[in-house]
Amino acid sequence: MEILVCIKQVPDDSVEVSLNQATGKADIEKIAPIVNAFDGYALEMATRFKEAHGGNITVVSVGPDKARDSLRNCCAVGASKAFLVKDEATEGSDTLGTAYTLSKAVAKIEEENGVKFDIIFCGKETTDFTSSQVGPMLAQLLNLPQVTNIVGLEPAEGGLAVKQETEEGYNMIDVATPCVVTVAKPEYDPRYPTMKNKMAARKVVIPDITAADMGADTALMGETAAKVKVAKVYEPAKKEAGVKIKEQTVEETVAKAVGIMLDAKVF
Amino acid sequence: MAYAIPEENYDLLETVREFAQKEIKEQCKEYDVSGEFPQEIYDQMIEMGLHTLEIPEEYGGMGLDKVTVAALLEQVSIADAGFGTSLAATGLAYKAILISGTEEQKQKYADVLTESGFACFCLTEPMAGSDPGNSKTTAVKDGDEYVINGRKCFITNAGKGGFYVITAMTDKSKGIHGMSAFVVDADTPGLSIGNHENKMGIRCSTTADVVFEDCRIPAENLLGEEGQGYKIAMKTLDLARPYMGCVAVGIAQRAIDESIAYMKERIQFGKPIGKNQGLQFKLADMQIKCETARQMVAHAVSLQDTDKKFSVESSIAKAYAGDAAMECASEAIQIFGGYGYSREYPVEKLLRDAKIFQIFEGTNEIQKIVIANNLLGKF
Repeated sequence: MEILVCIKQVPDDSVEVSLNQATGKADIEKIAPIVNAFDGYALEMATRFKEAHGGNITVVSVGPDKARDSLRNCCAVGASKAFLVKDEATEGSDTLGTAYTLSKAVAKIEEENGVKFDIIFCGKETTDFTSSQVGPMLAQLLNLPQVTNIVGLEPAEGGLAVKQETEEGYNMIDVATPCVVTVAKPEYDPRYPTMKNKMAARKVVIPDITAADMGADTALMGETAAKVKVAKVYEPAKKEAGVKIKEQTVEETVAKAVGIMLDAKVF
Repeated sequence: MAYAIPEENYDLLETVREFAQKEIKEQCKEYDVSGEFPQEIYDQMIEMGLHTLEIPEEYGGMGLDKVTVAALLEQVSIADAGFGTSLAATGLAYKAILISGTEEQKQKYADVLTESGFACFCLTEPMAGSDPGNSKTTAVKDGDEYVINGRKCFITNAGKGGFYVITAMTDKSKGIHGMSAFVVDADTPGLSIGNHENKMGIRCSTTADVVFEDCRIPAENLLGEEGQGYKIAMKTLDLARPYMGCVAVGIAQRAIDESIAYMKERIQFGKPIGKNQGLQFKLADMQIKCETARQMVAHAVSLQDTDKKFSVESSIAKAYAGDAAMECASEAIQIFGGYGYSREYPVEKLLRDAKIFQIFEGTNEIQKIVIANNLLGKF
């Protein structure tokens, strides 16, 4: 199967971010960039699928030059090809603009590879803006079926059998290929690259793709095209310290907690 | 502030650092208490290929420069010095083959190492520590085989190694000139593993006796020629000593990292203890020692790629780094105060781990003999 994994380079989500008062934006300059966590899970899932059932994995990212490092890291853990969509026109895109850019990139890469993709993986959301929109929008623009929040997939007649995670449990869904899937956290963690694979990934050529290369309409990307505009960025209010309840016995602790809630008219 | 490594190797450093911090640092604590061998964590390290860092490119390795290898080894050692010791000891064993083996031996054992994950260097015996010439292990030629009898002790990676580089006496009458070096494949009949040491520190590294009882090996497993064993062992130790120094630097660095964090968060007399100049000076002294040790290691390993001698620098690096690790670990406990003495906090382990670095691969006293002999020569 031909597989595409869409990745985004984001600031390391384990580092606390504060608001830069001068720019009115999140202060992320000094935070190390990493592959978005859910994209990492998507790539690991795609790699395990490839190892079990055969296929090729291409990764693509829309971003600046430094996103190339993240693409190269992906080549050390399962991807054999990588492309960077690098064009100033994409800066400031909202999710629809990004999905449009990716939809044009898909067509361009399929042309480069000489074959169409069977499965397009996206992370379910990014850890910076967490909109969860790009995957579904991409599916719509490509006119492909989509399943969101998957935690597993197997080949099935005519397509795939995927396991979707919900709040109550799991749905087992059959979907025809080609399709788009967005990936939540599976049972396993992404693998560490081996030293040998990291060295080999250095040799992978990662071509740039511009808007012109893709025949994309720049009027549909970037800040001016954005239908969703950021009105304000602010830090959340600091959480107040909670009330600590610890009595001699569990029964007394629970009774006291319920008493406090009754007084506060919680129920 | 760190090893000066080529720009393109920073991504390798980051991968190893992330692995060590996420998979070793917290997980090693339970194994430090129980003494059980952390096989699952070592399996992950072997999967990543960290045990192959020192195999030269022509034998299937990655061709990394020695300073980069030291930088990667330090990252593992910061998380736990036992893991660093196991890796360095594996490197020690393979180095003996690299400097004295045939091309076939170098390739064969590069492959064995890649597959098995560990190797062992067996010089020390119960009666032959600082005085390896007092070895009682014998290797007797019998047709196209050698028959090995004897006992080696304090062997790192014993029972895990894919091969064992050993020294044995082929001619006792000649003293150290009657010592030869051999490679013994794991699972050779007559090779067994004896007592496991219940160690003070580096407990994630396994240390045990290796016993040879009429152990027969092919004659072609001789390294170099008969009588060259002592020289091979000494040259191997010269090459490997800075890497043990590197592991010690990892301990010192961890002591500094933990101290910085604690000095910022512990409040006494209404302010973080890091505001006190006395402790700031202590921290600065720790950094001076740690960074000096690190750069001495870097210098010693860099010399190995030139045609210059490096025995003295190797000994300085190993001795100084061992002392630095002890001093930084001790000061870290002091900074933590009463909590530093508790096993609930990470610093007491650093002192237990550090002590051995003043002892193995040549005690600091032996290092001083090496240095003085080089300076004074024969007179």
